[in-house]
Amino acid sequence: MTTAALPRVPGDRDPRVSPLRRVTGSPALRLVGKRLLMAIPIMLGVTILTFWVLSLIPGNAAQQLLGAEASPEDVAQLEEQLGLNESGVSRYLSWLGNALHGDLGNSLVSRQPVSEILADRLPVTGELVLLAFVVSLLLAIPVALLAAHKPNGLMDRISMMISTLGLSVANYVLALLLVLVFAVTLGWLPAIGYVPLSDGLWANLKTMILPSAAIGLPLFCFYTRFLRGDLVDQLQQEEYVTTARAKGVGSWQVLLRHAFRNSSFGLITVVGLNLGALIGGTVIIEQIFALPGVGQMLLQAINTRDFVVVQAAVVIFALVAVLANLVVDLMYAVLDPRIRYGSR
Amino acid sequence: MRRTLKLAPLVAAAMVLAACGGGDDGGSTDGGGAAAAGEPTAGGEVTVLEDAAFAGSWPAGLDPATNTTGGSNIAINQAIFGGLFLLKADDDGSNAEVTPNQAESYEFSDDGLTFTVKLRDGIQFSDGTPLDAEAVKFNWDRDLSNPCTCKPSWPLAPNGVSVVDPLTVQLQFTRPYAAILASFPASNVNWIASPTALQKAGPDAFAITPVGAGPFTVVSNQLSSSVVLEKNPNYFKEGLPYLDKLTFQSIGGDQPAYQALQAGQAQAYEGLNTTPLLQQAQKNDQLQVTVQPATSPYVIQLNTAIAPFNDAKAREAIYRATDFEAINKGIFGGIYDVSQSFTGPGGKFYEPTVEGYPEYDLDKAKQLVKEVGGITIRLGTISNYVATQINTALQTQWQEAGIKVEINDYQLAGVIQEFTGGKWQAMLQTAGAWDPAAGVGVGFRFHSGVPYSGVNDPALDKLLDDAAATLDEGQRADLYKQAGELIAKNAYAPFGLAFAPANLAVQGVHGPGLTTKIPPILVNAGVIWDEVWREQ
Repeated sequence: MTTAALPRVPGDRDPRVSPLRRVTGSPALRLVGKRLLMAIPIMLGVTILTFWVLSLIPGNAAQQLLGAEASPEDVAQLEEQLGLNESGVSRYLSWLGNALHGDLGNSLVSRQPVSEILADRLPVTGELVLLAFVVSLLLAIPVALLAAHKPNGLMDRISMMISTLGLSVANYVLALLLVLVFAVTLGWLPAIGYVPLSDGLWANLKTMILPSAAIGLPLFCFYTRFLRGDLVDQLQQEEYVTTARAKGVGSWQVLLRHAFRNSSFGLITVVGLNLGALIGGTVIIEQIFALPGVGQMLLQAINTRDFVVVQAAVVIFALVAVLANLVVDLMYAVLDPRIRYGSR
Repeated sequence: MRRTLKLAPLVAAAMVLAACGGGDDGGSTDGGGAAAAGEPTAGGEVTVLEDAAFAGSWPAGLDPATNTTGGSNIAINQAIFGGLFLLKADDDGSNAEVTPNQAESYEFSDDGLTFTVKLRDGIQFSDGTPLDAEAVKFNWDRDLSNPCTCKPSWPLAPNGVSVVDPLTVQLQFTRPYAAILASFPASNVNWIASPTALQKAGPDAFAITPVGAGPFTVVSNQLSSSVVLEKNPNYFKEGLPYLDKLTFQSIGGDQPAYQALQAGQAQAYEGLNTTPLLQQAQKNDQLQVTVQPATSPYVIQLNTAIAPFNDAKAREAIYRATDFEAINKGIFGGIYDVSQSFTGPGGKFYEPTVEGYPEYDLDKAKQLVKEVGGITIRLGTISNYVATQINTALQTQWQEAGIKVEINDYQLAGVIQEFTGGKWQAMLQTAGAWDPAAGVGVGFRFHSGVPYSGVNDPALDKLLDDAAATLDEGQRADLYKQAGELIAKNAYAPFGLAFAPANLAVQGVHGPGLTTKIPPILVNAGVIWDEVWREQ
């Protein structure tokens, strides 16, 4: 009997397919490729939109830098120095041409290469976002599970109260309150400033705890409420829960192994969608805590109408959003084996 | 006054948090910080916070010639470059005078057409090269050929900058210009950079790490974020500066700055202008509060080129309907002075009252409004706490007189657009400077040829031009008095609160301009950084 005569079972590798084809033909890889291709028009759209919106704001970099006291001659001279006397379309196309070759250009205002500015500032914002994101999620999941375990119980009511409170306070007010309590009154943590990770983990974390809490706490509240609501729905309405209970599965097991697994889809979607807001939150928070990150840079660049720097920041943010959504889609497949992207 | 973005919500938050801002209630140390200072001691470090919307923004770097926001960054410039001249005053802000610093002396020619500066011998930049007349000429030529908010508007003759000898540099003018001396302390021509270091590093790198002959040298500079300085070992004054290290840190507004001081992360903050926080700080015995003597009063500019303010009666109606004393008491607790002219109590040629000034008279205002057949106007201002509060109060007061008012506040670009569009009707702005002819002086708001003026009056132009040209201080005072009276007589623009921001410093930090009063040339006082010290 030859192997060719044997019937193939699902999951067996077809020996006629080359290893390379197997890799490129992988549904997950096809999804990644498709999404990255889709990112091209998205990024183009985002940069065109940003450029257009910036051109709608009154004043240009020269006028902003020189202020109300400047003479028209000084403004005209600076416009020429900065190349602002060229048409908007030509400036955008020139920027795009350079960006496609990996050159994000030099800041209109400081003349520093944007890549150098980003290299200085991205680690700060990256750490801030990561800490806020991880901590909010790590806290939200157990609290939501505890709350959903006994709906309307003590834990549920406490978590509901904290969540409502947290969602009602704007992050900049929360930031000032956190500073008031933990920096001014208790003196435990610094109110402003940034210490790089290279100067020591604890020294670095001390400067990041309050800013990431200011961004992360409202997120924690949102995630908690969302997950708790979804879990309770699952527990009260889904038949598989009833079945599991009928089989004598314990309440914690039902919650953790069944309801939570299903609810995590919604949570992942919400987390992906929230990433934009999370990054947006850094703009004000970095300003309050004097953190030298991308948010602070973006705000300054908008104020000075430094479109080269604004574009670079927007490209980074848009890329993060696209990648985050891709990761979310891939996680669906990991969590639910029934989902197979691109399978026929 | 140049103000860019202000985080408006932060102001609201500041109001909320001001009441719970911590700190002990103690006696106010308003302006009295230096009284108990004692003998200065050397050593230590100080971190100074600067508002990101103003002095804490240096996006174009710190090369005096290309720092387009140099007029806002006086503190940092003074720390790195020192200055040819400095504005100094007694501790209470009186007897303010522009005094030679890196310059040894100055001289006007009798006809006022020549200004000669003699430099101190032996001053070196921190790179070891000499600060001499050639270096000064090199810097001035660069300064005058680059646009900057801090560029002086000298009536310079062609090739008007010349080196007389290695320590003497001379300026030639096309017309007498006595106001030049007062223009120095807040302008880029005052900050001399090392030509050798500039040529060696190239302009872009030099703007990040500039080299001067001031009390401190640059260790690191992250634009509009923080600049770290250390003591200049080559500094020309024996025993100075006192501090080993000085850091300027940009911060997002008054409230975070106030809390950072309380938390001990910084030792000083320049330019506090949120009044509730100022009142809170005055009760906090951890802090010294120094409200600088005001030099630039608010003015309600009226556009006399278009209706309704092309009619003198409509302008007088605004004067008669405006009660700045009530605004001062009701909103600001009476902490500011009210001026009737373009000078404030800290400025030169201050006249608290002006003869013929149309004072508040509600009945007269109502009658005038009736006579002109009603007034409906738009009143604008730049977005900041004090200005928007004043405009809201003015709207209420004017409505009592039957004037219908729509108020708007703008970011800087919006204000510029309003002025250059020429359709604005009334605009709350600041006018004047320590010397009315220097910086954003009175001419900026009242001279016919300026796009930000609402007045076109050759008689007023002549008075202002003559006052800027005249060497005799008594004559200048008289000319400005006449200008004030002419503005009042024609009801061109009512003046209001003479506002100046305050400096905060924690106990144990002392220094001229920081814990003593020095009138602001433009907005913030020029702190004498080499004399700032911290109790050890």
